[in-house]
Amino acid sequence: MRLITHNMLSCNIKGVTNGFPLRIEAGNVIKKEVDFNPDFIRHMFAKLEWKALVEGARSMGYAELPEDSPDAAVLESDESFLKKLHHALLELHLEEGALVCPETGRKFPVNKGIPNMLLHEDEV
Amino acid sequence: MKAALAPSSLTSLSYRTNSSSFRSSLLFRSPSSSASMTTTTTRGNVAVAAAATSTEALRKGIAEFYNETSGLWEEIWGDHMHHGFYDPDSSVQLSDSGHREAQIRMIEESLRFAGVTTDEEEEKNIKKIVDVGCGIGGSSRYLASKFGAESIGITLSPVQANRANDLAAAQSLAHKVSFQVADALDQPFEDGKFDLVWSMESGEHMPDKAKFVNELVRVVAPGGRIIIVTWCHRNLSAGEKALQPWEQNLLDKICKTFYLPAWCSTDDYVHLLQSHSLQDIKCADWSENVAPFWPAVIRTALTWKGLVSLLRSGMKSIKGALTMPLMIEGYKKGVIKFGIITCRKPL
Repeated sequence: MRLITHNMLSCNIKGVTNGFPLRIEAGNVIKKEVDFNPDFIRHMFAKLEWKALVEGARSMGYAELPEDSPDAAVLESDESFLKKLHHALLELHLEEGALVCPETGRKFPVNKGIPNMLLHEDEV
Repeated sequence: MKAALAPSSLTSLSYRTNSSSFRSSLLFRSPSSSASMTTTTTRGNVAVAAAATSTEALRKGIAEFYNETSGLWEEIWGDHMHHGFYDPDSSVQLSDSGHREAQIRMIEESLRFAGVTTDEEEEKNIKKIVDVGCGIGGSSRYLASKFGAESIGITLSPVQANRANDLAAAQSLAHKVSFQVADALDQPFEDGKFDLVWSMESGEHMPDKAKFVNELVRVVAPGGRIIIVTWCHRNLSAGEKALQPWEQNLLDKICKTFYLPAWCSTDDYVHLLQSHSLQDIKCADWSENVAPFWPAVIRTALTWKGLVSLLRSGMKSIKGALTMPLMIEGYKKGVIKFGIITCRKPL
């Protein structure tokens, strides 16, 4: 699971109002190189939940992103920032671990890079 | 308004018509899945337990069915697990590649029907797509590539999710698509996240059509589109409360081996969408455009390679294959329809 996906996932247990973002318990994180495509990164930036990304990246061992979301101007001019964003979003893979609901503590396992978000019968 | 079409009755429909077939299939055919019910002793208690866990059982059945059959399908038909779109009355014996092109055409025709590809502005605005019931990710990879967008797929089958990821990596699309094991009826997303909500032949598996539609509507972004392409039964005419018994029997047989809950009609989907405040609700009957598909699938199953692969795959695949002529019968007799239903969430 990459952070670009983590940025979209939330806990949907019945009654939970604060299911996002999921905390990451990193078991095994690997790095897989992906071709840098600055336009794609700029394209995605607008819809990112920044804090969730920064916290998630830190949990996966990457602390190079700024705490606050930069303004759009930075995207145009600062290629090194874009590369850091690219690395965080696309190149860090959580292979084994868990995603934890911030409200209930419920753990969703991640195996072979795939989160299992299925709810149990008593959670729907 | 016909009582049978009211959204609340769609939930009860699924349990009325199918809890009995699932109860029998659980008690008599799948020893492993009936283990959870052996703690009760009277038949009555077992029936209640079965009804309560029938959704779990269906979910498990679907996951196991696709865990077992996906590899086989992919070997013979490739990574799109949906019907091809053909010109009506095309009786030409298409080659393999002709059918695969038809499957791509199905995606393009669906986008066109929904109004997505006829509007440049709208196309450019598609940044996030959810593929509900993604199979091994054929649609996700195609759509992500086409729109330069990010696509997230959900499936009940871990085998499919794994395979989908492997294929994405092999096609250098791993940065644009990702796959999760999740339930379409309880999607692990916040509200309004997706510009395009895509359900290509997965609606048939949803035991609660109202809940399914609720989720699709919940996760679509304002201004975003929902596209549902699915197998339905024919629309009921005025005054009809249900399908004829022979029609229901035909569908029941198909339900067992394909792990389908009760069927609904295209009209039912339209009514469900109408109960939310959505715009531009459209539907069409594409049954004529998919007619060559099942005969083609059967032909591939009857080839030497097909038969050997089926035998290697297991009972679920074999039973599935034996059910295919029923699909053709269903289409021929006008019971089964191939429908598309699309709409847009207002800004």
